[in-house]
Amino acid sequence: MSVTQEGFEPLIVAFCCNWCSYAGADLAGTSRLSYPPNVRVIRVPCSGRVNPSFIVRAFQRGADGVLVAGCHPGDCHYHSGNYHARRRFTVLKQLLEYLGIEPERFQVRWISGSEGAKFASVMDDLTENVRKLGPNRKLRDAR
Amino acid sequence: MKKIAKAKLQDLWRHLSEEAALYLPAGSDGVVDFARWQEDLAVDLGELNVCVPPKKFFYPQTETVLKYEIGDDLQLVDFSGHAGERAILFGVRPCDVASFSMMDKVYLGDPADEAYRRRRENTCVIALGCQEPEETCFCLTFDIDPGKAPGADILATDTGEEVVLVAQSPKGEELLATLNGLLLEATSGDEIKVKDAQEQAKEGYVTHVSVRGLMEKLDGMFTDAYWNRLYRRCIACGTCTYLCPTCHCFDLQEYATGNCGERIRCWDTCMAADFTQMAGGHNPRPTQKERVRQRFMHKLNYFPRQHGGEYACVGCGRCVRKCPVNLDILEVIREVGGAADGQ
Amino acid sequence: MRAASEKMRQVAAEALAEQQVTAVLGWRKKDFWWQSPVAFVETAAAAEQLTFDPFSVYNPVKYLLEEDSARAKIGVFVKGCDSRAVNRLLQDKRLERERVLLFGLPCSGKADPAKIRAAFPAKKIQEVVFEGEELVVLLTDGEERAPASDFLLEKCLTCRHPNPVVYDQLLWEQVPVRAGVDERRFARVKKVGQKEPEERYAYWANQLGRCIRCFACRNVCPACNCRSCVFDQAEPRWLGKANDMADTLNYHIIRAFHVAGRCFECGECERICPSGIPLQEINRRLIMDIDKYFGPYEAGLDPGDSPPLGTYRGEDPAGFDES
Repeated sequence: MSVTQEGFEPLIVAFCCNWCSYAGADLAGTSRLSYPPNVRVIRVPCSGRVNPSFIVRAFQRGADGVLVAGCHPGDCHYHSGNYHARRRFTVLKQLLEYLGIEPERFQVRWISGSEGAKFASVMDDLTENVRKLGPNRKLRDAR
Repeated sequence: MKKIAKAKLQDLWRHLSEEAALYLPAGSDGVVDFARWQEDLAVDLGELNVCVPPKKFFYPQTETVLKYEIGDDLQLVDFSGHAGERAILFGVRPCDVASFSMMDKVYLGDPADEAYRRRRENTCVIALGCQEPEETCFCLTFDIDPGKAPGADILATDTGEEVVLVAQSPKGEELLATLNGLLLEATSGDEIKVKDAQEQAKEGYVTHVSVRGLMEKLDGMFTDAYWNRLYRRCIACGTCTYLCPTCHCFDLQEYATGNCGERIRCWDTCMAADFTQMAGGHNPRPTQKERVRQRFMHKLNYFPRQHGGEYACVGCGRCVRKCPVNLDILEVIREVGGAADGQ
Repeated sequence: MRAASEKMRQVAAEALAEQQVTAVLGWRKKDFWWQSPVAFVETAAAAEQLTFDPFSVYNPVKYLLEEDSARAKIGVFVKGCDSRAVNRLLQDKRLERERVLLFGLPCSGKADPAKIRAAFPAKKIQEVVFEGEELVVLLTDGEERAPASDFLLEKCLTCRHPNPVVYDQLLWEQVPVRAGVDERRFARVKKVGQKEPEERYAYWANQLGRCIRCFACRNVCPACNCRSCVFDQAEPRWLGKANDMADTLNYHIIRAFHVAGRCFECGECERICPSGIPLQEINRRLIMDIDKYFGPYEAGLDPGDSPPLGTYRGEDPAGFDES
């Protein structure tokens, strides 16, 4: 997103698993809970489907913050997808921070289908934190 | 012939950096590369071969060729005219200078590459003569004199406490003229020191190979069994091609989305499998054997055949030192037919 | 050291003469004292060229992927690090154990030509050998001796497995693990990790800014053994060809991630990088994290175990806020 007169509007990409967090996002909507319009939701079957390349590519293509949201451990629709995601994104998050990327930019949260309010509040927090950090310059493609 | 005390070189560079973008060899984390001059730059004129050769100033690793946007009509911006900031390269070794004239044969042929031409025109090359070769230096094989650099605009020679500068082109003369306040007149004693330094530079080589007759011998070797043995250990990285001062192949790629895009030109390596990959799946160089053969045939046969016997190698030794599997042009020259010069 | 070369020649010649194998992979010498390229020996007579010296570093194991699968069996000389590459390929189902005859070579470390050049006149060096704990440099005008440990490769100073972990025949006595390897193992990683975030980014942008996308690191790495690499894919293009900083970071992040839990710290990536990028400082950080959260685990020791990113435990901790 662009820097407007008022200030910078971050672009947040949220990978949400179909069975829990996407349903939670939907619930936030039907409950008329507002959350920032900065968020672009990408529905995936499971948080375990999210390839670390998606995270990096999202940042390269202009995202200022990226979220992976999945079912709570133990509740994965495919039984073990989010367990793999937990290991995977633990490693990725540490690696990005080690290379100097601000930790607030990449978040992983467990959000169930009934946690519409949590979805809204996670989006609020993430948007605000990323807004304070400013645009992602370090991983943004030059072309 | 002019000169300047080594202690005053910083002043010279400061002045030059006001004329144009000045680049010199500088060390960082143990690697010496050409870098833009600034006050606290760790200049290193002791290293013979900078890691990435200065070909990058005329043939950059990545450059925009054009940008386009499709609205009601097509808007296209050709970027070749954007190339050619005024630049000065200080400290280019004679082998790397020789590589420029070799590349000119490719990029300034007909039709000339506009971006390359603009860069060559707007860059002043100040060569620095070598004093003592490394183990892996074999520039003499290609008749490159380590103390001279005929293709450079200015030749700098280290004479001990001072550096002597001689203009070798109108561009060089023009630049030296702007430095009158900083430079002293060289004496006949300095002239002798330069001659001595140049003679001295030709001593101390330990690598002696000859390429006499090599081009001719390779004419008949396309299907020779030698290539079946040579290629085995090549791991198909781009180290030799990217660090070679005379390698000049490129790829064209597009970064496009929706209705706008950018076309770029970037380095490509004939060692990679997809270098000759064609739409439809055919690849005329299907295995590493064809690719390795191609590299050495190009350097030692195809290019010389097309350009009056000039080999596409300057004997800098980078491939010898950097190839992870020790597969280098020296090996091919020795094994195929170069004899020791017996100097 | 000469005894080692002779033993290797004997063993290889025998295996070839008895047709136990159709080829043997080892090392030979070339023009310069620091060059010990991999040798592909196919006859008993050719076994004479095999030489084991302070520069026989290059891991011959990955060539097994290319060797004609119709060949009966290939013999390979393997040091400690090389042998873990065998387990890597076995575990990744890229090699069958029956296809290789492994000659194990305990190794106390290999020499760094740059360190030797810094201490001795390179053009006068004729040969360099190890004799016990000493480095012996034979010059045109004499001989010099120095402690071998001062001239070892960085990767050898942190080697935890100097003896082959898998072999059919061990050619000589096992050697002890060097003192201090555990302390040194993550020292550089910790140092970088201690920097402030902006400093860390500046550090990596500077180091990785020298990357020329030659892919030598990927091509030498035994853990990078996919038949079709994601970075070569054109449709979709995960990695662009322009060497822009963000895309270069993309390459190094994703490659490190793809080998996470599979990297066995052979250090070849860093050793052969033509731009001198400290790549092990990235791979080792992931190993440190995997050990901390899910470990401890060492890759390449047991081809039957479960690589950490291919498995999970219900009670795994997470390196992020799970609330």
